[in-house]
Amino acid sequence: MSKKERIMIEPLSRVEGHGGIKVEIKANKVSNVEVQVLEGPRLFETLTLGKTPEEDLSIVPRICAICNLSHKYASLRALEKALGVQVTPITQEYRHLMHHGEMLESHSLHLYFLALPDFLGYDNAVAMADKYGDVVKKALQLKKFGNKIMRVMGGRIVHGENPVLGGFGRLPDVDTLVSIKREAQDLLPFVLDTVKILAGLKVPDHMERETQFVCLKPPHSGYDYYGDVILSSDGKEYPLDDYKSVIKERVVGHSFAKRSLYNGKPFTVGAIARVLLLNKRLKGNAADAFKKLYNERWYRNPLYNNHAQAVEMVFSLDGVVETIDRLLKAPRTEIAKPTRNSGTGTGGVEAPRGTLIHHYEIEDGLTAAADYITPTAMFLDDIEAFIKTSGDSLLAKKQTEGIELQFEMIARAFDPCISCSAHLVTVDWK
Amino acid sequence: MTTGDQKTTQKPRIGVYGFTGCAGDQLIIVHTEDDLLKLFGATEIRSFVMASSRPPEGEIDVALIEGSISTAEEKEHIQEIRKRAKILVAIGNCAVSGGPQAMYTGDGTFDSRLEAVYGTSTFVTDPLEATPVDAHVTVDYYLPGCPIDADDIFPLVSRLIHGASPEPFPHPVCHECKLNEVRCLLLDKKFCLGPITAGGCGAICPLHNVSCVGCWGPQADGNFKEHFTLLESFGITRDEVRRRVRNYGGHKILGFVKGL
Repeated sequence: MSKKERIMIEPLSRVEGHGGIKVEIKANKVSNVEVQVLEGPRLFETLTLGKTPEEDLSIVPRICAICNLSHKYASLRALEKALGVQVTPITQEYRHLMHHGEMLESHSLHLYFLALPDFLGYDNAVAMADKYGDVVKKALQLKKFGNKIMRVMGGRIVHGENPVLGGFGRLPDVDTLVSIKREAQDLLPFVLDTVKILAGLKVPDHMERETQFVCLKPPHSGYDYYGDVILSSDGKEYPLDDYKSVIKERVVGHSFAKRSLYNGKPFTVGAIARVLLLNKRLKGNAADAFKKLYNERWYRNPLYNNHAQAVEMVFSLDGVVETIDRLLKAPRTEIAKPTRNSGTGTGGVEAPRGTLIHHYEIEDGLTAAADYITPTAMFLDDIEAFIKTSGDSLLAKKQTEGIELQFEMIARAFDPCISCSAHLVTVDWK
Repeated sequence: MTTGDQKTTQKPRIGVYGFTGCAGDQLIIVHTEDDLLKLFGATEIRSFVMASSRPPEGEIDVALIEGSISTAEEKEHIQEIRKRAKILVAIGNCAVSGGPQAMYTGDGTFDSRLEAVYGTSTFVTDPLEATPVDAHVTVDYYLPGCPIDADDIFPLVSRLIHGASPEPFPHPVCHECKLNEVRCLLLDKKFCLGPITAGGCGAICPLHNVSCVGCWGPQADGNFKEHFTLLESFGITRDEVRRRVRNYGGHKILGFVKGL
């Protein structure tokens, strides 16, 4: 049985950044899976040292374009804690609006353009246009809408400098808010139709295994994308400040992304983790969408992350409308100022692809230490574990035709952000 | 190779490649919605792994390169792309100058910073301190930006696929800020790098009452010396000015700030 084989999928397409998947197979069993992050190291933790918080806020979103505002937001939360900045409730509403925009932009890009072509049998979303023209057109409109909010709140769609410590450089005018609200209402029927399309998709089961889920617990009784408490599927809660003892990072040679474990085991973060842990907090359309799409296989099957993203798109479209209704009552506010020059703070937000933690130590107005843990770094181990289970079950059933695509679909379902994590598939047949 | 004679109607072949960076420049192309569909219609996309599977690769008329060269593997890959690309364009700050990950270039701190983040691990491909694309291959055109702007990339591609040269944009951020009729932040003695930063961004930051951070890289005819003195007169230390122009200046800024 010395037959050695290797499946190498590189580059992994339709993900953000440059990665590959290497799978080694020995005696008809998967002996090794490496999700490879092949983009070079950028060492952001060292780029912010000795810088002012203003510079940190400009540099850090450059970690990742797709979720640039989540990075900005995580740093804002961390730095504002460190420097004693109390933002006004209105600023917090504008941040909700900004974050809904990024969820809609990132989820629509991933669900329709990166993930759906696999389920419908295409290489890319443009090729889908012949048969699914209306879906592609509407999906583009939805993505454009998410980008519009990011442009309005961020300053531009990627790496805008408008969110500043304590508030925003410029706030949108009432007409802009009203037009965003109307557009959200117009797009809702399309996303509800998407829920129906997803409900009819056959979801493969060859990778199914038990895993753990982690997300941040919102600071109020509703569903949301930020918090100061880490919540896990074993029912435990931890203060965010303890993140280093809860999520253990390590370095592996096949990846410039660090790896993370919870309880010594791989775990999942992202839309599926949030929806599984927080679904009781969903209301109205989002709660209905969840009921239509949920089944108990979600706990074992990462492909349902696509479905969870659809639930969140419904939540965010309604969230945009509700947030703007509140803002229209009092749309103006001031930028809050720092009350001290030194301090330590940890900021947590849910980026579209999962929990994102930024930590700063500021001494006399300059950054003395910084740490960034990204969602992709958190779930890379879990992608590998799911690919291993998938490979073993497909090999046992002799269903090896197109096995690469099955592996890629698993990796893509997590919506990995390789720039964030620092990349992804190779299969080695041994 | 045999474009002309064999297939006179062959579409221009485009390759979009991402090296080390945030993928923001490719994302700007993906995020252009209607224009993206036109691009896929008007050209043959031979590689764009962020948007499509199974790239056919081969000969390419226009290669758009994003990202810095930050591993030994990337160094080989850029040389391989150059061999089969008729025109190669560096898009975005990372490809043009090395990007924020090249802000300490020449300081000799890369190895110690690498160890601080990753320890002493060895990797499948050797990590290198970020360098711009032109440190390894000939670059035909540069499109700066962090990220690039959709209003700049599509005219550039459009000109190139029709055999014309891209139109240069020789103006600083300040120029575009004046067109926006925004009150100059420097008049209020606020930090701003507009006068010495390449424009093309629409001066979007001052439009939002926030200062230009210099993310499109140096403006070639900017008066760096005078601007340093001006910022110093606001009470900002020379060290801070020097540090801040380097945040996005990469390799390209060094020649402009030498001795300042």
